[in-house]
Amino acid sequence: MRSLRLATFIVFLASLAVIASPFFADAQTPKRGGTLRVSYGNEIANLDFHTAPGYEMMWVAMNIGCGLLNITPDGKFVSDAAESWSSTPDGLLWTFKLRKNVLFHDGTPVDAAAVKFSIDRLMDPNTKSGMRAFYESVHSVEVLDPQSVQVRLKHPYAFFLHMLAAYRTGLVLYSPTATQKFSLEDRKQGKPGSIVGCGPFKFVEWVKGSHLAMERFDKYFVPGLPYLDRVMIRVIKDPITEMAAFKNGEVDFIASFSPEHVDTMKAQNPAAVILTGKETTPMLAAMKVTVPADGKPMSKERKPHPIFGDLRVRKAIGCYGIDRKEIVKIAFKGQATPWVGMNPPGTLDTVDVNHLCPYDQAKAKALLAEAGYGPSKPLNFELMANTEKSVFNVIATVIKDQLGRLGFVNANIRVVDKVHWMNTTLQDGPWDMYVEDLLSLITLDSNAYLSNSTSTWSHPRHNDPKVDELYARYARELDAGKRKVIAKELVEFMADKMYWNNISGSPFYMVAQPWMKGYTYNAEFEVHYDKVWLDK
Amino acid sequence: MRVYIGKRLLEIVPTVLMITLVVFVMMRSIPGDPVVALLGDAYTEEDAIKVRAEYGLERPILVQYVIWLGKLLQGDWGVSILNGRPVLHDVLLRLPVTFELIALSMAVALAISIPAAIIGAVRRNTWADYTATTIAMVGVSIPEFFIGVLLLLTFSIGMSGALPSSGWVYLPGTCPTIVCAAGLLGNAQHVLMPALALGVGRAALLTRLLRASMLEVIRTEYVTTARAKGLAERPVIFKHALKNALIPTITVMGLQVGFLIGGAIVVETLFAMPGLGTFGIDAIIARDYQQVQGFALVTAIAFVVINLLVDLTYTFLDPRIRYTG
Repeated sequence: MRSLRLATFIVFLASLAVIASPFFADAQTPKRGGTLRVSYGNEIANLDFHTAPGYEMMWVAMNIGCGLLNITPDGKFVSDAAESWSSTPDGLLWTFKLRKNVLFHDGTPVDAAAVKFSIDRLMDPNTKSGMRAFYESVHSVEVLDPQSVQVRLKHPYAFFLHMLAAYRTGLVLYSPTATQKFSLEDRKQGKPGSIVGCGPFKFVEWVKGSHLAMERFDKYFVPGLPYLDRVMIRVIKDPITEMAAFKNGEVDFIASFSPEHVDTMKAQNPAAVILTGKETTPMLAAMKVTVPADGKPMSKERKPHPIFGDLRVRKAIGCYGIDRKEIVKIAFKGQATPWVGMNPPGTLDTVDVNHLCPYDQAKAKALLAEAGYGPSKPLNFELMANTEKSVFNVIATVIKDQLGRLGFVNANIRVVDKVHWMNTTLQDGPWDMYVEDLLSLITLDSNAYLSNSTSTWSHPRHNDPKVDELYARYARELDAGKRKVIAKELVEFMADKMYWNNISGSPFYMVAQPWMKGYTYNAEFEVHYDKVWLDK
Repeated sequence: MRVYIGKRLLEIVPTVLMITLVVFVMMRSIPGDPVVALLGDAYTEEDAIKVRAEYGLERPILVQYVIWLGKLLQGDWGVSILNGRPVLHDVLLRLPVTFELIALSMAVALAISIPAAIIGAVRRNTWADYTATTIAMVGVSIPEFFIGVLLLLTFSIGMSGALPSSGWVYLPGTCPTIVCAAGLLGNAQHVLMPALALGVGRAALLTRLLRASMLEVIRTEYVTTARAKGLAERPVIFKHALKNALIPTITVMGLQVGFLIGGAIVVETLFAMPGLGTFGIDAIIARDYQQVQGFALVTAIAFVVINLLVDLTYTFLDPRIRYTG
């Protein structure tokens, strides 16, 4: 009898599912219209996509602008304005065939001349673009016909397509007409008419401190897209307010959510869709390796840093003296991966070198004793953290505590604001160690400009040419298998020399309302709203 | 009276000059360089030098100040180093939001403090007095951001979103932008929590002050005379005692404008409001010198003008007060 009842119930449920299926299917058919309300945690710096810093600007650029190609979360290249591309076997000549129906928002065509104009502009030192370093391998750009453009490289560059798709904003095409018509200042402030892209959304207005609005571009080259009428971006800096706004349904999407509040968000909004993925951003405790020998910041004459210029001290403190597991447990509630290697576990060609730096207080003490430090000569240094993210301060505090356990090491924490930190580190100022998460890395190669010896952003200012040589070999090797071998050599070398002291990956979270559909999570690299629709 | 007002208006000039000079020098003395924020990951020392030259930042501070002042006299408040936007345009865009917030915060403060102080003074040493005094003490002790968070938790998270957590809805007919929400109800909903957060602390302070002032006034002979003449208690308190007791309170209210502008920075950041407070704090954090100068200038003018208005109010409260040249 009981089994009969169960069978009847199952049949009833099955019938219900059959009856209801059209509704579910209908719910999954994209609906057109509506406004996507997005919350940013930081203000957009300015709107010149080729020069403005910050992810917030990049995520706008990716939706107003278009490029040649994009990259999917699994690393496949997909067409954007270019319908196809090919290269010669030596990897020196790349030809891109453009789609015929791509228009800029001002009605001018996206043609080979526009591609050449955009790449030349990025490579021009007067543009002062952060992308310029990535185009080092480009020799010239040539227009073959209106729909074909050829890029000649000086040397093979294995990550040329990665770079075009996703290094920083990837290549964002500029309309030559609009760029010549408006000044840089006009573009930076978002003057009407000056922000002209070829992406799915047209720029409407940017009211700093209030909102940025974009609306559907009806002549977007992908038929039927975008689904949304409008995207409204607001800046909500306080995470509590951001959570309240989300709970109230005032925002549909939080583009970057602080990891320490994820549990609260889940508890308050069980229906919230938490988006995260492989860790691609390194969280590091950088140590300065050299200082100017003549006392002039940025001088090429270098001498070892008085404390961390000694490899034994770097290894004692950065390698053996830090318990990465404990840091991750406390600072990230376990939601990150302790990682010694320079490129976090979500990066292409990542290498696990955690075995090189086990937490070992005895080894740390022995190395420090060898370097002349001990109870009679304590080691004091400054540990800088900035106010951009509270997790930096937590990590700095844990590091201070861990090093304190050695008995004679004292890390004095100094908290500064972001601009002060940037000034001190970029301008070769006085610092010993800092905690910070730097750029998200889609490939190991994309970290070259943060860690080779000639880079402005190589804050430790090591002057080891072997690093540059390894990076160059890695980037120029076209065989993926051989590249992996070089990647391993490079990452092991960086860890062995402690030129780059990673703590862990830095998790990245986005939060979406359950009615926001069609979004593909691809960390910070690709944030596109063209296929997003609202199931309300 | 006109001569007096003219003199006071003239006094604004050196005051504002002094304030802007101090801010100018201080901003350039603290560590940090707007060029670093501007260039971001494109930073190179060579480009930084070029950009500094473009904005005249390599010149001596006083020379920069004189140049800024010269442009100001021509109505040019400069442009933001970071985003190229005209400072005056952004200040004017944001000023109404902060003005409304501060005006309503003061209204909240007065709406709470006047009745509380009168009750406290008239029913001295009763439970009503103790309650008003205790609440005032608690209000003074709690910072604005904490009251703001409590309000958020109560009305935005706790009461199924009874009030919006953030953003701004303009008063009808005041929309300054293309995409803009406007409406009386929406505006009231958006300003209520920020005004409460900012006003409660001020209410507490004014309650204590007004209560003490009322206690002093109701013991004076003219109040006793008014009572002896057979006047009812209500006109004695409201017409005779309160008007005189308000004079020191209004003086403090004027001085409180400075604190309200400071508080607006916190409250506007918490409630993500597009006001002058968030403009100021963003400018300071980015070391956007031009914007900081604009912020300092407008707050200095507001402070001085409001205090002038406060001084003029005395004549209406106490006809014995007369200003002469």
